[in-house]
Amino acid sequence: MADSTYPMPGSLAEAPRQRWSQAAILEWLHSWVTTVDHKKLGILYMLYSIFFLLVGGVEAILIRIQLMQPNLHFISPQVFNRLFTMHGTTMVFLVGMTYIFGFANYLIPLMIGARDMAFPRLNALSFWLTFFGGLLLYYSFIGGGGLYGQGNAPDVGWWAYAPLTSRAFTPGHSTDYWALSLIVTGFGTIGASVNVVATALCMRCKGMTLMRLPLFVWLNVVTSALALITITPLTAAQIMLLIDRYLGGHFFDTQAGGSAVVWAHFFWIFGHPEVYVLVLPAFAIANEVIPVFSRKAIFGYPAMAAASVAIAFVSLGVWAHHMFTIGMTSVGNAFFVLSTMLVGIPTGIKIFNWIATMWGGKIRFATPMLFCTGFLVQFLLAGLTGIMLSVAPWDWQLHNSYFVIAHFHYVLVGGIVFCIFAGIYYWYPKVTGRMLSETLGKWHFWLFVIGFHITFDLMHIPGLLGMPRSIYTYEANRGWGTLNMIISIGGLIQAVAVLVFAVNLVWSYFKGKEAGNDPWDAWTLEWAAASPPPAYNFATDPVVTSRRPLWDLKHPEDPDWKYE
Amino acid sequence: METHEQSNSSPHGETIHLPAPTAWPIVMAFGVTLIFAGFVTNMIVSILGAVFFVTSAVGWFRQVLPHEAHEDLPVEAHDITIASTRTHVTRIEISEEHRAHLPVETYPILSGIKGGIAGGIAMIFPALLYGILSHHSIWYPVNLLGGAGVANWSNPTTQDIAAFHIQGLIVATIIHIATSVLVGLLYGAMLPMLPRHPIVLGGIIAPLLWTGLLHSTLGIINPVLDDRIAWGWFVVSQVAFGMVAGFVVARQGKIRTGQSMPFVLRMGIEASGLHSGEGEDRH
Amino acid sequence: MSEGVEAMSTIALVQEPEHAFTQPSKGRVAMFCVIIAESAIFTIFVVAYIYNIGKSLYGPTPRQVLEIPIFNSICLLSSSLTIWLSEHAIERGKVKSFGLWWGLTFVLGAIFLAGTGVEWHKLIYEDGLTISTNLFGTTFYSLVGLHASHVIIGLIALLTVLLFTVTGHVRQEHAERIQILALYWHFVDAVWIIVFTVVYILGR
Repeated sequence: MADSTYPMPGSLAEAPRQRWSQAAILEWLHSWVTTVDHKKLGILYMLYSIFFLLVGGVEAILIRIQLMQPNLHFISPQVFNRLFTMHGTTMVFLVGMTYIFGFANYLIPLMIGARDMAFPRLNALSFWLTFFGGLLLYYSFIGGGGLYGQGNAPDVGWWAYAPLTSRAFTPGHSTDYWALSLIVTGFGTIGASVNVVATALCMRCKGMTLMRLPLFVWLNVVTSALALITITPLTAAQIMLLIDRYLGGHFFDTQAGGSAVVWAHFFWIFGHPEVYVLVLPAFAIANEVIPVFSRKAIFGYPAMAAASVAIAFVSLGVWAHHMFTIGMTSVGNAFFVLSTMLVGIPTGIKIFNWIATMWGGKIRFATPMLFCTGFLVQFLLAGLTGIMLSVAPWDWQLHNSYFVIAHFHYVLVGGIVFCIFAGIYYWYPKVTGRMLSETLGKWHFWLFVIGFHITFDLMHIPGLLGMPRSIYTYEANRGWGTLNMIISIGGLIQAVAVLVFAVNLVWSYFKGKEAGNDPWDAWTLEWAAASPPPAYNFATDPVVTSRRPLWDLKHPEDPDWKYE
Repeated sequence: METHEQSNSSPHGETIHLPAPTAWPIVMAFGVTLIFAGFVTNMIVSILGAVFFVTSAVGWFRQVLPHEAHEDLPVEAHDITIASTRTHVTRIEISEEHRAHLPVETYPILSGIKGGIAGGIAMIFPALLYGILSHHSIWYPVNLLGGAGVANWSNPTTQDIAAFHIQGLIVATIIHIATSVLVGLLYGAMLPMLPRHPIVLGGIIAPLLWTGLLHSTLGIINPVLDDRIAWGWFVVSQVAFGMVAGFVVARQGKIRTGQSMPFVLRMGIEASGLHSGEGEDRH
Repeated sequence: MSEGVEAMSTIALVQEPEHAFTQPSKGRVAMFCVIIAESAIFTIFVVAYIYNIGKSLYGPTPRQVLEIPIFNSICLLSSSLTIWLSEHAIERGKVKSFGLWWGLTFVLGAIFLAGTGVEWHKLIYEDGLTISTNLFGTTFYSLVGLHASHVIIGLIALLTVLLFTVTGHVRQEHAERIQILALYWHFVDAVWIIVFTVVYILGR
């Protein structure tokens, strides 16, 4: 580590080695709260994301324990409602939306050869808005005066359907906490998205044309552009909700001519593209990991970029497939069935391109690649159940059942969380200068993949048997008991796997193998910087001539630009 | 305005301009959060938040105007060598014949239609033979196929089906012609893509697979037909179709697909000199 | 000929890094992003307004109480022209004429805001229409109010620049920042055309 540290107060490499006098701690803390460095903010985003991943995970485990057996009263129904609401809200807004900007912040400037993001101070503001927004949400556990005045977290589901959210049905402030804190984190998201787009379009180093941007950057630009038009409708709808609740408005008040269905439309106009906002950065990670561990250039670069843009476009016109059971005209049904199926085309292009990248390659199954392989298989299956649910009559049968829960957890866990883990294993050496332990990594992967499949494969079945989502408990004679028991055990196995991961993160930080600048023999610019990179990233501005600048340097006799 | 951070690419031993750390963003974020938190707690909280917000806005403003605050970081002389231990590069070898899915040559569209018509005619004979042998009526298979189109036909008896119905004949003819031509077209398109013995694959295995698919789903699509259908005979007529259609298609001359042409030609770029080598072959 | 094409493409590949490498201005890109995001918010409110036209179960109805704010709208829309003239002036370094047009823009915007205030005062105190009166009140005040809040933000920004101009801090090199700010003002004006059409023409 000696050759790669820089005399930077508070840089990751330095901080823990200082003597922990009070002044040193304060100075260290000060350097983190006042930082405008994209790498430090990226780390903050990631730590925040991982912290809430654990919190949301604990909530999930509590839910699973409650559902383990019929007629169980492990927690009260009220607490159960709060838990599944907070689990969803946390995972989507505090984990999903922050891991995106964690990776994007840390990596985009490095990948495009820039010194920092386009707006470093706005970057800091965006993170802290997200940070305090999350705190405000969790403050509701003690501050949200509920029915009897005691603390009360939001308990209306993360979709918060009207009219349940009206004053008459949710007195107190829990729903307001939900709306207000998400408006605040929404501001953070908009700021960060603006920053990502501006950085990738305006801060590229010499020679980094748009068609040479690493796909990671491409996909994050698409994500951020999508986030700009996705988060804002939610903000607008939440403002309407607050107007209804505080100023006596009638947007969602059917007794004054308003419409509760409009809330559902507005929520899913946000909610469905949001899924793509979450999954595209996961694709971005796979786009970097799979070629490097297959020792081949990515297959079909332009098709991959175009497919991402296509996914973003199509995703804007599919929201009402969440609302087949609310009732629409048959033309409306047909439109949303077809538009939803259309998503399968660009997504299919991506899956084929990843497989084509692996095909004939010299694949190394290091932990990042293991996670990406798992992602490929699971994401395909998740997509297939998605196509099933896009068929309106099928959805009429299974809407709001555990089949739907299983489907979207297959996407969110099997697709996104697997890619997050892959990304962390892949870039941890760059961030800290040390490798994550491969042994613990393999344990983590296998435990997680087994736990995942036990939980979410089986979860489809109670859904098909009619078990609705968000239920507190169920009768013994329904025949869901055994399945739920096994599902919960799978959840516990996943929890153990995540603990292994957490141990790995901490242990490797102190005792891990020295990484060097380029442990994976990779090709994008971030591996040309030291590990961890100095505050200014590159001493001289890099110049690139192809999509794989490091390949060109490593193989001067056979550079990429000859073929592009 | 954005040149401050970027263009100052200094060689070793100098300093690099970077934006200075600042506490204003966190103060502003805290202020905004307090403003919103005030709605659910106390107005005083909102007022406090607004104070934070305004203070930080002014502070922030003074930091970036007229010049953005910077700090100069010394550059550590640090040579980074970029090298790989994997110096050996191999390329995936793909032979020219390895084109199972993008045929260089294919059959013209017309051949598919011809094959479909021929196959459709060939298929009639085993079907009629089946009708005569099993129910002594050539109308039995016709009505089975066309029965879906005859209105008010619920639970017909065997005699009903064996009798002549003009509606049944018309509907059956339409269905038969349409499917024959469509499947013929499919054959024309697919045969060049099938590896080795295309006629065997297209004539026997594909009808078998198709029959299997129908066998498992017909109960849902058309329960009446499912009750009465004789699967052995069904396979025979399908195979007759497949063999004849495949044979007719295969006898037609092949034409070259766009895949064999150079990129410029496929894009239809017309420029003098480009066509000299290839232009003749196209016609 | 085909040889010539090949040779040309090889040369082009080698020379590419030598070309002038221009990227868009980050301020402009950021402002466009903000405008896109804001458009999404307005879209939702506009859709809510259109959806709820005529759905109020009780009065007062738009036809009874709304008057078309022609003068107001002319003020706001012409401010787009004046801010454009001031952009031109600062680009050519004419600070005085910039200040003049910029000041006029601010005044026009302020007149619009005052006009909205007068309209609301009349609606609330004479017609008894508040945000909680009926569905029309809810959608009307929230849509027009959302736009007015953007006008207020714009006016604050305009005023800040005006103060800097008066104290002599604005120079030609700030032209780009000023143009970026003007983009926002153009957006606010453009949104008013939509809000005006929806509220005062379609909705009446």
